[in-house]
Amino acid sequence: NIDPASLLPKLPRPEELKPFPTACSTLFRGHEGRVRSLALDPSGTWLASGGDDGTVRIWEASTGRQLWSSKVGDDEAVDVVRWRPGREAVILSAAAGDDIYLIVPPIQDPETEKKSQDVLDAGFGYATNATQTLTASGIRKEPVARWARPGSRLEEEGVLLKVSVRSTVKVISWHRRGDFFSTVSPTAQRSAVAIHTLSKHLTQIPFRRLPGIPQAVQFHPSRPLFFVATQRTIRSYDLQKQELVKIIQPGARWISSFDVHPGGDNLIVGSYDRRLLWHDLDLSARPYKTLRFHSKAIRAVKFHKGGFPLFADASDDGSLQIFHGKVVGDMMENATIVPVKVLKGHKVRSALGVMDVDWHPKEPWCASAGADGTCRMWM
Amino acid sequence: MDGQSVQSGPRQVQVVFTTNFPDIELPEGKRQLLVPTDVRRYQLSQILNSESMLDTPAPIPFDFLVNGTFLRTTIDEYLTAHGLSSETTLSLQYVRSLIPPLYEASFEHDDWVSCVDVLSENSSARSWSSSGLVPGSERILSGSYDGLLRVWNKSGQVIATSSSAGAGGHTASIKSARYISSTKVASAGMDRTIRVWKYTESEDHFSGQLKPALELYGHKGYIHSIDVHGPSNLILSASQDDKIGIWTSAVSSAPEAPSSLLPSALTSKRRKLSTSTSTPQRGPLSLISAHTAPVQAVIFNPLDPTVAYSCGQDHTIRTFDLVTSRNVDTRTTSHPLFSIAALPGISTQLIAAGTSARHITLLDPRVSARTTQVMTLRGHTNLVSSIAPDPSSSYGLVSGSHDGTCRIWDLRSTRQGTKEEGGGVVGDAVYVIEREWTKGKKAVGGEGVKVFGVNWDVELGIVSAGEDKRVQINRGRGITEPGNA
Ligand SMILES: [Mg+2]
Repeated sequence: NIDPASLLPKLPRPEELKPFPTACSTLFRGHEGRVRSLALDPSGTWLASGGDDGTVRIWEASTGRQLWSSKVGDDEAVDVVRWRPGREAVILSAAAGDDIYLIVPPIQDPETEKKSQDVLDAGFGYATNATQTLTASGIRKEPVARWARPGSRLEEEGVLLKVSVRSTVKVISWHRRGDFFSTVSPTAQRSAVAIHTLSKHLTQIPFRRLPGIPQAVQFHPSRPLFFVATQRTIRSYDLQKQELVKIIQPGARWISSFDVHPGGDNLIVGSYDRRLLWHDLDLSARPYKTLRFHSKAIRAVKFHKGGFPLFADASDDGSLQIFHGKVVGDMMENATIVPVKVLKGHKVRSALGVMDVDWHPKEPWCASAGADGTCRMWM
Repeated sequence: MDGQSVQSGPRQVQVVFTTNFPDIELPEGKRQLLVPTDVRRYQLSQILNSESMLDTPAPIPFDFLVNGTFLRTTIDEYLTAHGLSSETTLSLQYVRSLIPPLYEASFEHDDWVSCVDVLSENSSARSWSSSGLVPGSERILSGSYDGLLRVWNKSGQVIATSSSAGAGGHTASIKSARYISSTKVASAGMDRTIRVWKYTESEDHFSGQLKPALELYGHKGYIHSIDVHGPSNLILSASQDDKIGIWTSAVSSAPEAPSSLLPSALTSKRRKLSTSTSTPQRGPLSLISAHTAPVQAVIFNPLDPTVAYSCGQDHTIRTFDLVTSRNVDTRTTSHPLFSIAALPGISTQLIAAGTSARHITLLDPRVSARTTQVMTLRGHTNLVSSIAPDPSSSYGLVSGSHDGTCRIWDLRSTRQGTKEEGGGVVGDAVYVIEREWTKGKKAVGGEGVKVFGVNWDVELGIVSAGEDKRVQINRGRGITEPGNA
């Protein structure tokens, strides 16, 4: 008699898969109310956060010291903060309500600050706001978004541009080159997904119809592909040919977040119905692995992008689960996925736990945003 | 019984007691002794104190070194562990036991304290000064996240505070500050500048002045730490911009400042208001790009100021020839490195580097030495932010960590690392200094207790700076070299 378990490939033990984050190294306290979103800048120096108190804050990542703060939301929460990719300029994007803010925080040297301001200002020459198109019936068509200065108080704080769309923005996702970013306004129906061109101050609506309510978007890390997640499916589109490439069905009832592996051929998907799914895009439309580790919704999932085979999720049960996820070049071989650590510490508040997670750009460290009002760095 | 005879009483071994301290030396005829092999440090200490040996009026606690390592077991266990027979004659070197570093005082600040330096009769800056110190006029220099430098006397009174941002001071938090001499100070931090200050005291020494003398521009990122060498006027800097700066504190020989990095180049309205006064502005002698990630610390080789050592987040410890500004040696470790100190060592020069992985790595930076790692010091539970050598011992050092403790290490106190630790030679702390007010309470993520800077002075002791807005002083004299106490 052969025990069927003995035929399964043996997974390595977590100790053999070091390094991965194991303990809370820094606490970031200052937000009043939930911290909804956070992001580490491309150099790993600064942690940006946004939350229910309507503020965007920037912290020294290594010490937990708050360096800068601006209240951009009057009554609205800051739902998302994301850094523009690239190190030649330092630009932070944040959204509160139906406004997207582009920020050059006063934390950098004069040369970089000047470059960053130039990147934001270049588009003023295009004056797309002025050219309101006329519809067939001759009625003035409102532009899908308005690009403008946000007013002197915010400008003095370094918040230099405001892009106003028509409905609350929940997601910002940047293209790697830093000229395009996409936003998701789930309640906006036809214009739920927008693509913005920074150098032209131009906002476009790429999809006239979407089969469901959009939840999240991602640009492919190297090819001109664009992923859109609705509640149940993820579609990839070729942006140049303007055509649907693939439909992925994770089998989740409500997708909360997804991320594309830096190699471009694998996806992780998190869902409010507590599932974490790994998709190998070469293999099948169905998930290669379904991971159920949390007792509550998963709100965020993220791959490490700096060379470590790691990914993490954040859950309303108050914990983060860290996984080893090694993708092999060989098309015939599947990824090795091993849960290596549960990170606990965030307190659950009103049934909400960890709202967002991000990785350090180079080191095997991650940061989390909590409904308990804190951000934490884990090393 | 299997025929082997059972010894009546414990086995015995011949020992020779030696010491480097003449005041506790045994008379020649008493140095050899037959002792039972089941004794430990405590019994050996009692034997030494006894009437027939040292005949001490009050018992002196002793520690014993065998082959340079502290005896932590019975002699029998030591012999077994090292495959020695009891026929061996064992040489036991004795030293006074370590004295716990007692808490002495805390100096309260308005904001986080990032760094401390000390001016005392034995500090290097004193030896670079033209005149001696008035007895009792030791000074502590602290740099704070509020952007201010403060000079304190031993009683905790502020003698001088540096100018504010609008009056020629730092425009952001200070990260590092050093005495160049008793009348000259350098500081640097998050405004990316190094500032040199002229320091003077009033006749009665109860007040003083820190006057801006020079502003140095060139870095495009935070300056995490600086080191100074008085005789050559040189300053070294480690920056977030991945570069190491070499600067001079002599205004006349400093190159022109890069105009694009001056405050006048700032475009945001808010910061234009805080322009500088008439302090001279200069640039670097040299900026070295060698590290591939932020540089966290750089120091002069204390034995040869034409050589510098640096460490950074790129996991490397690098050696530089300052005459040619060349990176002559690079050692790559497994972790980002946040602090560095040069230790004279036992027979060679050693570098200690503090990691984000909660330990301290010791290595031999000489080009000829190919073994990378000498020893690992373990025990901290968060990033090791600062290291300072024991000024009165070649075996001691102190480290400060984001875990809210300073730990004292004695390089003679070592053991074999466990499998989980990756083997090798491991040192455990001989003393742990908590922040006094926490009473040992642990803080998640070092919240409120992180130690950012530490210094060890012969006169003042262990002086540490932290997120608790305090400079804390613990008596540190004679901890790892008791004979000098
Ligand atoms: Mg594959």
